[in-house]
Amino acid sequence: MSERLKIFLMLVPALLVIGLLFFGGLFIGLMRSFNYMPVIGLTDPDLSAYLSVFTDREFYLSFLLTFHIAFTSTVISTVIAVGAALLLRRHFLGRAIVNFLFQLNLTIPHLVGAIGILYLFSQSGSFARLAAHWGMIASTSDFPALVFDPYAVGIILQYVWKEVPFIGVIVLANMQTIGEDYESVARSLGATRWQSFRYVLLPLIFPGMLSASVMVFAFTFGAYEIPAILGASFPAALPVLAYRKYTDVDLAARPEAMAMAIVIALLSAVMIYLYLRYSRKRIRG
Amino acid sequence: MTHVSIQSLTKVYPGAREPALDKLSLEIESGELTAILGPSGCGKTTAMKMIAGLLAPTSGDVTFDGRSVLADKPEHRGVVMVFQNYLLFPYMSVADNIGFGLKMRKAPKPEIERRVADMLELVKLPDLGQRRPSELSGGQQQRVALARALIVQPKVLLLDEPLSNLDAHLRIEMRDLIRSLQQQMGITTIFVTHDQEEAVVLADKVALILDGTMKQFDRPEEFYKRPVDEATARFFGGRNFVQGQLKNGVFESGLGKLAVSEQSTVGNGEGAGTLTFRPENVHLATDHSQPNTLPANLVKQIYLGTQTRLQLSIGSHEIEAICNPNEVEGLINEQEILVTIPADAVWLLPS
Repeated sequence: MSERLKIFLMLVPALLVIGLLFFGGLFIGLMRSFNYMPVIGLTDPDLSAYLSVFTDREFYLSFLLTFHIAFTSTVISTVIAVGAALLLRRHFLGRAIVNFLFQLNLTIPHLVGAIGILYLFSQSGSFARLAAHWGMIASTSDFPALVFDPYAVGIILQYVWKEVPFIGVIVLANMQTIGEDYESVARSLGATRWQSFRYVLLPLIFPGMLSASVMVFAFTFGAYEIPAILGASFPAALPVLAYRKYTDVDLAARPEAMAMAIVIALLSAVMIYLYLRYSRKRIRG
Repeated sequence: MTHVSIQSLTKVYPGAREPALDKLSLEIESGELTAILGPSGCGKTTAMKMIAGLLAPTSGDVTFDGRSVLADKPEHRGVVMVFQNYLLFPYMSVADNIGFGLKMRKAPKPEIERRVADMLELVKLPDLGQRRPSELSGGQQQRVALARALIVQPKVLLLDEPLSNLDAHLRIEMRDLIRSLQQQMGITTIFVTHDQEEAVVLADKVALILDGTMKQFDRPEEFYKRPVDEATARFFGGRNFVQGQLKNGVFESGLGKLAVSEQSTVGNGEGAGTLTFRPENVHLATDHSQPNTLPANLVKQIYLGTQTRLQLSIGSHEIEAICNPNEVEGLINEQEILVTIPADAVWLLPS
């Protein structure tokens, strides 16, 4: 048996899982989004669900909100993570402990983080009560709305809290592999500390940084639970909106939910493609 | 043209007991090519990084034309370091790599393009500007690294093991290129190497570092003729060391009596000492007509291609000689022969 065939056969179980569960699910979803649901008597495929999605104002508001959540939390997380990795690659007293603490919340589920944000940042949360107790605000209701708010601050905070160590660990490993000699070359050629970061280290860590931030973007764009717990009810994030349609008492709303899910997947793919193209051009020139 | 003075430069890394480099002192004349020579881990690269400002010394000073540069940031020192593994920026074209230093100085684009083209000509790679470093051979990458350093017209050029990653034939080509560019541009250059042949062929002066300490700083030929101690002599291929007594210009040892010229004992008085002489200065003789001719027993011959190494037993000592293979044709092991060790080819190690 040739080596190639052996490798292919060993990959078959994993390919079956991906093929059946992912592409199978996608196929069923696609059929339903075209109004093909024989269970409830819909047997003539059409584009009415997509038309309904694209003519709904709430869909556009939800899209903008979801994009804002995904983009802002990805950018903030990446910037903080790169800064943290730059510090953590240096030798200092207690580095091992700081490194451990930095990575600690990788093990904590998103849901637990969301509840933490709720307890800390909501208007009935700890910070609001402390602010009121110390007389910084008259009552807890004067505390700025950081949860269930239209700007999704709470959601973004939760994502940043959770994703900084994720991107940071990848970028730090990348930096340690690269070492400091490239920057030394740049410095001796006349680059300032900032220039050697901007023109040398950043392009070198870029592939790792990009992969990590794309994963974060894709996840935050399509994730349901955090916007469901910490988000405002209108406009809701796209996955929340899709889920609402899916669980609508009227089964006829299901094709619309599926159309929305397909659109979310497509939009996510298009935006990742644009992000990759744009950032590659900007960073590597 | 910059005069470089390195004064008692010392580096002790945090947590280390021994210094990586201990009190290195060198005076390097303007436009001179100096080699820092030593085995791996002796502190050579540490010294370079401190001169370049990439590492802070524990103590000591580095001055350029009499001015201390320790407080200057690396980008303001005017020192460019070319690393052993070239470290070309992999995501940039060859031209962008070479123009990097000028871009950092915010030079106008047309000037960068013109000077990059000149540099590509100088290092004989005129058509490769648009290639990526990964598309170049090791020798070509080395040339690009050199061009990238020279384009900024540094006061001091530092080369870290510049030839060690190259094939034998490329080494000679690159060696000649480095020498001619350095002389053409008159840049004070320091390079580190573990290869004594490389140091001798390329450098005006050589600083030998062993175990973090500088042993000798001299013209290359001095290391062969007048090494400061046995370790230095051994590093340069010295094999013959004989203990004995110097009395009235004659060295008495297990070899017998050897006349020693005046210049071979500079810095030494009469009395006990160690005499050394290089294997290539031990000549085969046919009779006793020359002074310092001694009877020897041929223990072993090792054919090395262009040379033959002979192990000889003289009195209570074993010594080595290197001869032309034609000279030793017909000799057999255990044969009694005569060898001459010229009085001016021996050196009494300073006590």
